[in-house]
Amino acid sequence: MRDNASSSNSGNRRDFLRGSGVAAATAVFTQTAQVGMDEAAAEALAAQGVAVQSGSMKITLQVNGQSMVSEVEPRSTLLDVLRHRLDVTGPKRVCDRSSCGACTILLNGQSIYSCTTLAVAAQGKEIRTLESFDTGPKSVAHAFHQNDGLMCGYCTPGFVTACQALLEKNPNPTLEEVKKGLDGNICRCGTYVGVVQAALDAAKAIKV
Amino acid sequence: MAANSWPEQTKLINTRIPRLDGIAKASGKAKYPSDERPEGTLFGVILYSPHPHAKIKSIDTTVAEKMAGVKAIEVIAGPGKFVRYHGDDIAIVAAESEEQALDAVRAIKVDYELLPHAATEEQAMAKNAPEVVRGGNVRKGRAQTTGKPDEALQKADAVIEAAYSVPVVTHVCLETHGLTARWDDKNHITAWASTQAVTATANELAESNEIPVSNVTVLTEVMGGGFGSKFGADIWGTTAARLSKKVGGRPVKIFLDRIQEHLAGGNRPSASAKIKLAGNKDGKITGMIAETHGTGGVARGAQFPLPYVYSIPNFKREHSDVFVNGGNARAMRAPGHPEGCIIMESAIDDLAAKLGIDPLEIRKANLAPGDFRTKIYLDEIAIGADLIGWKQNYKPRGTQKGIIRRGFGLALHQWGGGGANDKQVSCTISSDGTIELKSATQDIGTGIRTVLAIIAAEVFGLKPTDIKSNIGNSTFPPGQSSGGSTTTPSMSPPCYNACLEARDELFKKIAPGLRGTPPVTDLSLADGQLLVKGQPVMSFKDACRKIGMNPISTLGKSSPGLASNGVGGVQFVDVTVDMETGVVKLNKIVAVQDSGLIIDKMTWESQVYGGVIGGLNYGMFEERVVDPISGRMLNPDMELYQLAGASDIPEIIVHAYEPPEQKQRGVIGIGEPPTIGTAAAIGNAVSNAIGVRVTHWPMTPMNVLNALAAQEGKA
Repeated sequence: MRDNASSSNSGNRRDFLRGSGVAAATAVFTQTAQVGMDEAAAEALAAQGVAVQSGSMKITLQVNGQSMVSEVEPRSTLLDVLRHRLDVTGPKRVCDRSSCGACTILLNGQSIYSCTTLAVAAQGKEIRTLESFDTGPKSVAHAFHQNDGLMCGYCTPGFVTACQALLEKNPNPTLEEVKKGLDGNICRCGTYVGVVQAALDAAKAIKV
Repeated sequence: MAANSWPEQTKLINTRIPRLDGIAKASGKAKYPSDERPEGTLFGVILYSPHPHAKIKSIDTTVAEKMAGVKAIEVIAGPGKFVRYHGDDIAIVAAESEEQALDAVRAIKVDYELLPHAATEEQAMAKNAPEVVRGGNVRKGRAQTTGKPDEALQKADAVIEAAYSVPVVTHVCLETHGLTARWDDKNHITAWASTQAVTATANELAESNEIPVSNVTVLTEVMGGGFGSKFGADIWGTTAARLSKKVGGRPVKIFLDRIQEHLAGGNRPSASAKIKLAGNKDGKITGMIAETHGTGGVARGAQFPLPYVYSIPNFKREHSDVFVNGGNARAMRAPGHPEGCIIMESAIDDLAAKLGIDPLEIRKANLAPGDFRTKIYLDEIAIGADLIGWKQNYKPRGTQKGIIRRGFGLALHQWGGGGANDKQVSCTISSDGTIELKSATQDIGTGIRTVLAIIAAEVFGLKPTDIKSNIGNSTFPPGQSSGGSTTTPSMSPPCYNACLEARDELFKKIAPGLRGTPPVTDLSLADGQLLVKGQPVMSFKDACRKIGMNPISTLGKSSPGLASNGVGGVQFVDVTVDMETGVVKLNKIVAVQDSGLIIDKMTWESQVYGGVIGGLNYGMFEERVVDPISGRMLNPDMELYQLAGASDIPEIIVHAYEPPEQKQRGVIGIGEPPTIGTAAAIGNAVSNAIGVRVTHWPMTPMNVLNALAAQEGKA
């Protein structure tokens, strides 16, 4: 349990739990949850050793090697903080419910859906978005470009990031492994043929 | 002089060129309208109806107005107004943060008088159904009759009688509908809009805010998908501008959430048909009688073409639009055609099965004599049959045994398309060698930005990346809205003419200063060089230095001979079906497509792949599920509203049908045609595999098992 974020109370803001209760709190405070938790319940949980936070607070995020400070609410998702407060707009908000992968980023090297990750939970972790990736001739972006693995391009950041994550873990993926590695992402324009070929080409190019 | 044909020899046109904005998009650096956050931006969140039908008795925004961060609220449906579907707009809050706006939306108190609803077609067509619109829920169109259909049915060797249906599906644009609007001063608006039509959006913003359209700038540098559903500012955009005015001009950003995008962002209407199709042993279709209906929600628009593709001498058709308490339909990629194709291609396949004729032969026997598409179809059927291995693989329906069965099917489609002839492109050559194109069209992912650059680069002997292809700005010369496969045929001719005229102007300006003062007819451009009588004399850049201070600027218009319309297309599908689970596995899809002269083969191919995959989704996964009791959509998300992922994509073969006579037709669009036939061909392949027609789309295990159960009398 960390305590670097201050707990300023600003009236009607809904309370929030974090620290060792992050997992449970995440389940409670998704945006679909109808209303915030009532105070009695919050107090009960606080008594169990879980910190309660509310209002807005300043947090520092490590984004693409830079320290970025932002005023957020405990409920603010990492994606929304990146896009709406820090203008890191590569990751896109599409389904907002971990279904489509357009918001994919790398958190401590793991590909995650930033639309359902709380910003406060990303403090102290290394956040990488595709803006920081190589775009040269041996890059994933280059392979997407050369294979026309994009049309409108709104899903593309997610696919590029998922592809980058896949290749960092498995530099020699088979066709089936590529498909499986990208199955957490959805494209509406129907660019899958180019996307899959791009992933295979990028794997080859990066090795050379 | 405007051109009337494309050059016969080309270096770039008709080759594979990667799109200009590919790296920007693949690096996350391309700024979409929803990425823009001009200084001082407020976030708008929409309160929409949770009910399918209600009267607003009262609405109280007083608590919401006082909440932290809230700057302005606009009520769209005030007291006395009706909401007519789940997702209908009620009010919009603008606040400093999206979270604050969301809280304020929740604090708005609405007192609803709940009214009975008819959210499904079954409910809307029932006796004594609640009226969705005045005048009744079922609007019968005038019956179309040709020849003597009743007589034709009596005399035919075989008649099939069947019912087919396909549900409402939604566009699921990945970037939701919306824009950010800012009053720059008392008379000017700038908007960053996710739209297929910057011009229409500017017009709507101007009209609703009562300022001249010349005072509105709509910007769409790139955008995240429209598929026919984004042709204006919409109520959300005009309200964003009103809210911006209310708060003294601060930008207001309103983009729908995913739920409302499904509910109110548009959809493709459903289609149902009761159909009788008659034919003879020689494979000739003699007659058809069809009763059809569909729903476009609270709006009309469920009409679709039928008969489709084939020549049927005697037919009668009655169509009804059914109104339901659902979001209104909008044009969706090839509006009407995928539905018409499913109905027609199912019926013709079932008739072929009854007559014991090869599905491929019955299609060949019923193409319209004398139609220009007939030869194209015959060629395309032959090519496609070869690519799918029809001769070796096809087995008649009902002859397969075992639990795992393989099936083959095909479908034909057509599209009109073609360009508008009143669009313009400007071309400016500056003394530093910069070439800039401008037009108020927009790239919705189809590649028009790149297409224009290819044409310019061809004329100037440069690389496409040397060209500044500037679109997506409503203040540029009039450009085409991106819909109906019309963008490329509308924009390519004026672009070509603008570039030719600019090049000629360049030659005229610099020829007198060249050694030996050659006549302009001796000048040409190639590989970045100026040539005199075919010999390079200086670089293009150096040549441009000679034009002096004033740039050359031309405005190209359309001219006959460069574009055309009307295409066919054939698709074949190979599937495997598990008879016990009803699971359909796609093995292979072949798409053979004509479309005149292809400017960029790479983006063209992507469009065809994308069309096929769109059709694959329609054939296999997509369905708007509405709960009749609550009248709400049950799957307004991207989890239960299913779309294909990478593992769902089979081998897809795209074959461009482009003999010389196709190239001579000039440019024709490609967005719509390849998405039309896929779902129909999938249905036919499934039916071929399992020996019985699956009458309801998509080809889910449930629908497949229901069809098998119906055959066994267990339905």
